[in-house]
Amino acid sequence: MALTPETLPRHELNGLLVEVVDAANPDLVGIAGRVVLESRNTLHVEDVRDGEARVRQVPKESAVFEFQVTDEAADREKRSGTTSKLGRDTAGVRAGQSGSGDGVAYVTVDGDRLLSRPALRSETAGDSKWR
Amino acid sequence: MNVAAERIERLHVLAREATVAGEAERAREYVRLARRLAERQRLSLPRDFRRFTCDDCDAFLRPGRNARVRTRSGHVVVTCDCGSQARYPYGE
Ligand SMILES: [Zn+2]
Repeated sequence: MALTPETLPRHELNGLLVEVVDAANPDLVGIAGRVVLESRNTLHVEDVRDGEARVRQVPKESAVFEFQVTDEAADREKRSGTTSKLGRDTAGVRAGQSGSGDGVAYVTVDGDRLLSRPALRSETAGDSKWR
Repeated sequence: MNVAAERIERLHVLAREATVAGEAERAREYVRLARRLAERQRLSLPRDFRRFTCDDCDAFLRPGRNARVRTRSGHVVVTCDCGSQARYPYGE
């Protein structure tokens, strides 16, 4: 299962580009960069400002994250120059998200849904809205 | 492919990139997480992953950089910078 907006809460977060769009602590809002480490309760985000990389630790609880997901299916489609039925389907999924551009989808996720040990997120039905 | 298997692939790439960027400790975290996922989901790790990670210190190994690769009769010996050795047979 590819990394899609639907699978993201169960998928690998390390390496993804993320922005903190809301948090209990206002100082954390606006932190943006690559996720470099995940713990049960936090994400470590490498924020580069003025050419200086700083790793910021953001609690998942009561924060809202906007992840940038490159749509691999769309990329493939662009490269091969063909429009597959599959491609149109994934495009439909992207349109349903908070925003989408050129093969890039922005997926907004409540940090509370990510509260789990990194290795267990794939198995604890992170997709469910009933957590 | 299920989510866990794909996470392992991503972590493999991330571990390599982190090692190249000089973030060895970060790479170890990715290696450990991939191993933990495989263990929990009862998946076997890809052969490349098993051979180019250190069983002792979890380092992602780059031959010539942080690992020595030497052939002996019938097997390859991979030595991590931490001193741990792993031997893999090869057939002719
Ligand atoms: Zn080692």
